[in-house]
Amino acid sequence: MLAAPRLAEEATGIGALGIDPWSLLAYLVTFGLLVVLLYTLAYKRILGVLDARSGRIRDSLEEADRVRREAQEQQEAMQRTLLEGREEGQRVLAEAREAAERYREQQATQARAEAAQLIDRAREEIRQERDAALEQVSSEFASLAVSAAERIIHRSLDPDAHRDLIDEVLAEGDARAGRN
Amino acid sequence: MKSRLILLPVLALALLGVVLGPIGAKLLGFERLIDAPAVHLAPQKIFAIGGFTVTNTLLSAWLTCIVILLLFGLGSRRMAMVPGRLQGFLEVLVEALYGFIRGMAGERYARRWFPLLATIFVFVAFNAWMALLPIYPTVGFKAEGADHVTTHLLRSAGTDINMPLALALIAFVFIEVWGFRVHRFGYLREFFRFGNPVQTFIGLLELISHFIRIISFTFRLFGNMLAGEIVLFMMTFLTFFVTPIIFYGLEILVGGVQALVFMGLTLVFAVLAVAPHEGHKEEHAEAGQH
Repeated sequence: MLAAPRLAEEATGIGALGIDPWSLLAYLVTFGLLVVLLYTLAYKRILGVLDARSGRIRDSLEEADRVRREAQEQQEAMQRTLLEGREEGQRVLAEAREAAERYREQQATQARAEAAQLIDRAREEIRQERDAALEQVSSEFASLAVSAAERIIHRSLDPDAHRDLIDEVLAEGDARAGRN
Repeated sequence: MKSRLILLPVLALALLGVVLGPIGAKLLGFERLIDAPAVHLAPQKIFAIGGFTVTNTLLSAWLTCIVILLLFGLGSRRMAMVPGRLQGFLEVLVEALYGFIRGMAGERYARRWFPLLATIFVFVAFNAWMALLPIYPTVGFKAEGADHVTTHLLRSAGTDINMPLALALIAFVFIEVWGFRVHRFGYLREFFRFGNPVQTFIGLLELISHFIRIISFTFRLFGNMLAGEIVLFMMTFLTFFVTPIIFYGLEILVGGVQALVFMGLTLVFAVLAVAPHEGHKEEHAEAGQH
């Protein structure tokens, strides 16, 4: 048979447990002192630091929230400004386009007017040139007629011959006018 | 491969322990190398101051108190916002205990109850854990003619019934004082109900149950601590090496659990004591109507 643990003292009943009022009192005092000392030396300080740290964390979180809110507000404001800027830019661009279009149309109108003026002027000049040419032709006709007359006079005064001669000169004059 | 190199010698050592122990002695027929351990229910006297006897368990309790005070004193000497290792450990412990108490009692009572309840936990746990140090079962005095230690210098305070009894009395007084403090004399209505015989009987049972708590608190802690000590003694006696380590691990757990149970039950009973009773609820309701 294996050895079993044996009771060291031969005591009976509850007395074997060793309940002792003085020991009990000693434990009560020891524990009471331990509570007081631990509270004074450690618990108060540790709980204080834990409170302070949790307070600081709470403050930091609130500060972080505030900063995040402000950043968000700033971002929103910036986006609003950007949007306004973009709208303003688009408006300015549209106005510029409109002005450019107006200017282009104005220039085109002006160009057309100038072109019309130029054409008119050209026509006028052409007309004047033609008139001058006609006048010149007429004067040349006259000189031709004179030269024809001179020729006639130097030859004979045959009416048919004169007529032929005049026709010839006129044809010559027409040919000349056609060339011009 | 590496784990096998460690495991094989460990298993061999464990087997050697069993072979050399009383089991091997019985099976192989040689004489036992050591005597069976002696269990002392009562603590042993170490010295006396006047008429006051200092026992090995009381000495152990004082030593534990010194260790606790040194640990907490050094750890909280210079409290910093960025804690060091010791401060961090103490903060984790205090935070966990405070959270546990606040979770059950609420913020209103947590700060007031914390010092006592936390000290119960620390005192019970450290007493149990300190007793696992090898100096506890080995250092002591030999009786005349004895070849081994017969009086141990130190012994776990939890194995002395006076320590659990003292804590149980403190817990009892704490609970009842808070009951009276919150409900004044209305607290007595919980025990003295004179409406009908059934209520009177229930009140009487309630009164007895409050006093029974002293016994249940005491013997729960005392029984667990003493049983732990005996198990460690016996496993060391029977198997010598390796195997007792498992039980040492178990005892570390038991020490923590018993400390938590003692503190937790004190907390629960205190919460019940300060909670509004049936009669008080009616009074509160009437007061609310007025």
